[in-house]
Amino acid sequence: MKEQYRETDVVRNILEIQFGVLSAQDMQQLSHVHVVAQELYQSGSTARNPAPHGVLDRHMGTSQKDVTCETCAKNLSDCIGHYGYLDLARPVYHVGYFKNTIHILQNICKICSHVLLKPKDKGTLCEQAKRINSYLQKKALYKRINELCKKMSVCPYCTAQNGIVKKLPPLKIVHEKFRTVKKGDPIITDYFSQFDTALEYNKDLESQLSSTVAEFLNPSQVLDLFERIPLVDLPLLCMDQRFSHPKDLILTRLLVPPNCIRPSVISELKSGTNEDDITIMLAEIIFLNNLINKRSAGKVQSIQDSWEHLQLHVAFIMNSEISVPHDLSMARKSSRGFVQRLKGKQGRFRGNLSGKRVDFSSRTVISPDPNLRINEVGVPVEVAKLLSYPEKITAHNINLMRQLVRNGPDVHPGALFVEPRTTPGTKKSMRYVNRERMAAELKQGDIVERHLMDGDIVLYNRQPSLHKMSIMSHRVRVLPWRTFRFNECVCTPYNADFDGDEMNLHVPQTEEARAEALILMGVTSNLVTPRHGALIIGATQDFLTGSYLLTQKDQFFDKEHACALVTSILAGKEASYKIDLPAPAIMKPQQLWTGKQIFSAIIRPNKKFPVLCNLITKRKDYTKGEELCSNEAWVIIRNSELLAGALDKSLLGSGSKKNIFYVIKKDYGDIYAADCMWRVARLSTLFLMNHGFSIGIGDVMPGTGLLTRKQELLDAGYGKCDEFIGQLKEGTLHCQPGCSAEETLEQLILKELSTIRDKAGKACVMELHKTNAALIMAISGSKGSFINISQMIACVGQQAIGGKRVPNGFEDRALPHYDRHSKIPAAKGFVSNSFFSGMTPTEFIFHTMAGREGLVDTAVKTSETGYMQRRLVKSLEDLYVAYDMTVRNSTQDIIQFKYGGDGLDPTEMEGSVGPIDLERLLEHIRAKNPCSEEDPLTGSDIIQLADKYLAEDLFKELSSEFKKELKTFMEKFSKRVDKIRSRLGRAKNRKIFPVERHLERLTFTQLVNFLNACLDRYQSAVMEPGTAVGALCAQSIGEPGTQMTLKTFHFAGVAAMNITLGVPRILEIINASRSISTPIITAKLKCDTDPEKARQVKGRIEKTLLGEVCEYVEEVFLPDDCFLLLKLAMDRIRLLKVEVDAHSIKYAICTSKLKIKDSDVRVESDTIITVRPSRTKASAMYYQLQHLKQHITKVIIKGLPSVNRAVINQIDSSSGGASRYELLVEGDNLQEVIATYGVDGTRCTSNNTYEVFATLGIEAARATVIKEITATMENHGLSVDHRHVMLLADLMTCRGQVLGITRHGLSKMKESVLMLASFERTADHLFDAAYHGQSNPIKGVSDCIIMGKPMNIGTGVFKLLHKHTRDNKLKKRNLIFDHPDMHIPAMNGAWS
Amino acid sequence: MADEEFDGDDVGDEFEEVEEDENLDDLQEGEEDENQMELVPAGEGHQVPQQKRITTPYMTKYERARVLGTRALQIAMCAPVMVEIDGESDPLQIAAKELRERKIPIIIRRYLPDGSYEDWGIDELIISDF
Repeated sequence: MKEQYRETDVVRNILEIQFGVLSAQDMQQLSHVHVVAQELYQSGSTARNPAPHGVLDRHMGTSQKDVTCETCAKNLSDCIGHYGYLDLARPVYHVGYFKNTIHILQNICKICSHVLLKPKDKGTLCEQAKRINSYLQKKALYKRINELCKKMSVCPYCTAQNGIVKKLPPLKIVHEKFRTVKKGDPIITDYFSQFDTALEYNKDLESQLSSTVAEFLNPSQVLDLFERIPLVDLPLLCMDQRFSHPKDLILTRLLVPPNCIRPSVISELKSGTNEDDITIMLAEIIFLNNLINKRSAGKVQSIQDSWEHLQLHVAFIMNSEISVPHDLSMARKSSRGFVQRLKGKQGRFRGNLSGKRVDFSSRTVISPDPNLRINEVGVPVEVAKLLSYPEKITAHNINLMRQLVRNGPDVHPGALFVEPRTTPGTKKSMRYVNRERMAAELKQGDIVERHLMDGDIVLYNRQPSLHKMSIMSHRVRVLPWRTFRFNECVCTPYNADFDGDEMNLHVPQTEEARAEALILMGVTSNLVTPRHGALIIGATQDFLTGSYLLTQKDQFFDKEHACALVTSILAGKEASYKIDLPAPAIMKPQQLWTGKQIFSAIIRPNKKFPVLCNLITKRKDYTKGEELCSNEAWVIIRNSELLAGALDKSLLGSGSKKNIFYVIKKDYGDIYAADCMWRVARLSTLFLMNHGFSIGIGDVMPGTGLLTRKQELLDAGYGKCDEFIGQLKEGTLHCQPGCSAEETLEQLILKELSTIRDKAGKACVMELHKTNAALIMAISGSKGSFINISQMIACVGQQAIGGKRVPNGFEDRALPHYDRHSKIPAAKGFVSNSFFSGMTPTEFIFHTMAGREGLVDTAVKTSETGYMQRRLVKSLEDLYVAYDMTVRNSTQDIIQFKYGGDGLDPTEMEGSVGPIDLERLLEHIRAKNPCSEEDPLTGSDIIQLADKYLAEDLFKELSSEFKKELKTFMEKFSKRVDKIRSRLGRAKNRKIFPVERHLERLTFTQLVNFLNACLDRYQSAVMEPGTAVGALCAQSIGEPGTQMTLKTFHFAGVAAMNITLGVPRILEIINASRSISTPIITAKLKCDTDPEKARQVKGRIEKTLLGEVCEYVEEVFLPDDCFLLLKLAMDRIRLLKVEVDAHSIKYAICTSKLKIKDSDVRVESDTIITVRPSRTKASAMYYQLQHLKQHITKVIIKGLPSVNRAVINQIDSSSGGASRYELLVEGDNLQEVIATYGVDGTRCTSNNTYEVFATLGIEAARATVIKEITATMENHGLSVDHRHVMLLADLMTCRGQVLGITRHGLSKMKESVLMLASFERTADHLFDAAYHGQSNPIKGVSDCIIMGKPMNIGTGVFKLLHKHTRDNKLKKRNLIFDHPDMHIPAMNGAWS
Repeated sequence: MADEEFDGDDVGDEFEEVEEDENLDDLQEGEEDENQMELVPAGEGHQVPQQKRITTPYMTKYERARVLGTRALQIAMCAPVMVEIDGESDPLQIAAKELRERKIPIIIRRYLPDGSYEDWGIDELIISDF
């Protein structure tokens, strides 16, 4: 079996970690010295020798370089350290197990130590406890038994009374024995009668004797109780008796850690040493120990005090962060206990075990270099001379190695060390040896640590590493100067710019690491992001500008220039390329080549070059007329020839699938795409350098036309705003549903003002000359947007803060420069100037306000999304696709039966959901193989042949969905063919021209090729077993989170319903919050075409208060009567469609919280109800009447109390049919809404996952999670493949309840202690594991990293074996006596 | 500016401390059901017969990476090369050439989740896009 290669042979394979609690005996056995001495150093001597049997005894190892350990006689670097132990004068609680100690005390009888369970329960529970081997179930059982025991108040064994056990801060336990017993019970009286005699003699005692009996349980008593717990009851405490016993939870002995983990530092400045916190605390404990021992005959109170101090000190050594009452805090300065060493970002788990410091790495500033290939990184010589790679000498490289050794460490391609094969582990520095001789003596098998050289593979990384493309492997190119350099195309995955960013570089040190880095992490293997399968590495900035200008239709070159441009690609491995210069587009008067021709020559330099790229697409600014589009926005590339269109970001840049490089990657592989990208980079920069491109103030100067247009826009917009304001004043403003008039006005004005800027932007684009630099950059997508242009030239626009206009910072106004209550645009932050014309002071203030909001937003966002990403990764890190194509976690639980439902890789998706863009593939196949001698097929032929071919065995592996997609596509295509044929065939007697055969032409070979290509591509799109899909999912959801602007609100359909979006919403979903900030139930209606019916249903759901339907409420005083008179506003009731009448209102009043008797409410008529104050009540009738008057208007007469608002939403009917209505209900009561008459219960859903889970079940909750995350992402224009979202939702729901990606959820879905400990609440998880005696198999990703093992994901899911080429089985050789000739002939008849 | 410092433990305190012991009983019930199920014996350590192999006939990129790495290491340690080499000295390139010609003497042992495994020789696997 081939295991991962290891240099040394002393490595042990750690299979699992066993947690447990050490008993006092274990501690002694582990230790080498009994620590008793209080002083640290021997007194008297000046040499500072540690006191024997002191805390610094050298038997526990050494912390100084010049001293050896007295146990193993090794020095600082070799001695692993040894434990000591110290005995405590009194037992104390262990602070880590304090919680468990209380639980156990709650579980057992405080007299007889039996577990407080009925004997019949005990048996089954005991069985269950023994059988459980899952950690999660064990923890659940522990909790359940604890719940059961807490309910028992009488011990079933000794019938002793048991009460409530509570913790009393800081570390005391109280047993309230009779808490559960009623007063006057004989048990209590018995108990108190004990004291009768004492009371008789001492009357003062009576005040001390409180009615609630609280016994303090001191550690000695608890220890005694724990020791007496019967062995059979141990499983009920969920402890494993092999590894932990309740009595070990009480400390009687303390393990003293080795000296090397608490080194004493000899101070240079002052005499003496600086001791570690642990050492000091240990010394204090010994001091207290001795104090108690000395006083053991003294006063009880003083011993008690010392004991308490001892308890606290022992607790502090474990965990120095426990909260202590102020008087006991003993004026401590903060020290670091064991827990503090483990937890937190800098703690042992996250700081040292999960992430380690590395050698062979380097970091410096980065700068761009378009001449480097896509997969290269320029490394400064200085760096290359320091980093090294241990290359083994073989017959193939011995000459090179000799030369390197001769060059030595200071000449660049040199070597730093040589490790001869004969002396492994000892390196010879090339600085101090005779290098010539060394070189001559090199033998095969020696290892040369040589400089980094051209072509070496290194890992290149920029923090924050949010996705796997943040660390990729590049090939080294050693260059002069002092920065790391790389091609700008690779900026996007690293999210790098060159404003002073630094990046890191790591050199893998083994062949295996190099191979894996090259194949899995190479730049060329990561051209495409797994988030949604689009290119992430693509041309940027100048490359786009250059290509756009080059491919303009007015761009012509004479022969010299054309050749100069085309030959710019002759470098590197392309240096020997032949380039076929196409025939010039214009012959006379001068031979001229178009830019498009030159670009085509770059994509496919010569006729033999295999890449035939086919793509037809349109850019965003497409107008009409296909290739005759005035913006050149219809792009046709056929067989790598750019026939029409200018190229922009969507065709060359990242983030798109209709992209030249993407098409080449799909059809010809990563390498061709990367090479092509590099050629484009070279060409476009060279072109741009010759052409010249610059931006100046002239580019942002508006012309007179633009200025007048802008003024018109402003006037019109302001006019409208004034109109709205006027309407508000007059009260004629038509309110939007669910909004007040003010809110409606704000929305209208905001909408109006934002259109001003948009229109100004459009006007800019219209007015600006097409050579305007800013415009070119915006159109080509290299930098800036139309909004930026419009802000520079025309109008900066409305400044928004929190999605609204600038709020009032002064009394009733935003700035004191405007009138109070002014609502005009300028007073609330509308900037009508442009950056060019300059802002007025008030505008400037508004602009800075909005600018600050942006800054604050990003600052808050980074930390929030960073933490979200960490949680996502921690919870998803161990999910992978197993060889049977299921998605499993490290404990082999199934999360998904097939990844994403179809087992396809999101990276390979060419369509928006499907694996292949069929339209383009067919186009490509048809263009590639013209098959000119074949006849085209007819439409019916195509369908028949395709069906027949697809039915073959070969196509069994295609999923049914994809087959269906393929079939519908073929049908559509055949219809197209039929249509064009029938149109041509209409003129019967006409001769058929040969050209007609080329319209929608598909021949037999092409069809077969097409279907085969579909099969091939489908199969290569299948997810590869071993892929860490969980990590991909976490990154694909976490990384776009950083791009979302934080607090955004959006109007979903109706303006009134704004729902939380952006990062807060994503957090709500993945935290599985029970109460979300904007819960909305979408209720479809049984009859959804009638707005009247919809209003009725709304009336049934929405909470209606009595006050809302009353015309007036009056107190009426008559001589003999007084009552409250309610006059119902029937018009309003009718208008609101609330189904109430006077009788139902009476019923509502009677059942309300006001406690009004039926007889006191009288329905006088249809519209009048009288309510009389109760005569029986004590308070005066007048006050009752006032009280009633105040509260009766708040009585809910109809609707669900939890629903404040419901809005009718009109769904736009696109197909001209009747418009449909649905209800959007604000609130959390899905169950009630579903049950409402008129609501179509089967089509109701909520955006609250917990609510959906509680009402509709776990599958519905899963669907909601998927829907909500997708909707939120889409809203921000971020596309995430649905497979990622699906996996996250599946993980959250796989345990049968919705678990959030939080520490609570995580501890319910993960078994691994180490994983949980490395996440959050480190110490809690470790103590729990020790209590339960949990064994933790090293299977998960975190576990393996902590233990330094290769993990079982990716290249770790399989093993490699050597294949023996053994000869066939050994032939049986004939034995000499088997041969008949060798036998002495039988002497037949010799005897006769 | 690159590495923002944030302490996860601090940010984390903002979620509501969910009452934890709500669905414990549900968990428990599921468990009792589980006990009535019959456990299919795990295939721990068993080899799946050649005809009954179910895993993909394609070589995954992880297998390719590890095979190449392993073979490159062997070549670097002076293992005999199985192909003609012309001038390459990088072990990784030689290994890649060997893989292209299917000459690498390595078997891939694919473990299924139940612990059984399938053995696939390099020559049996389809290597795409290489």
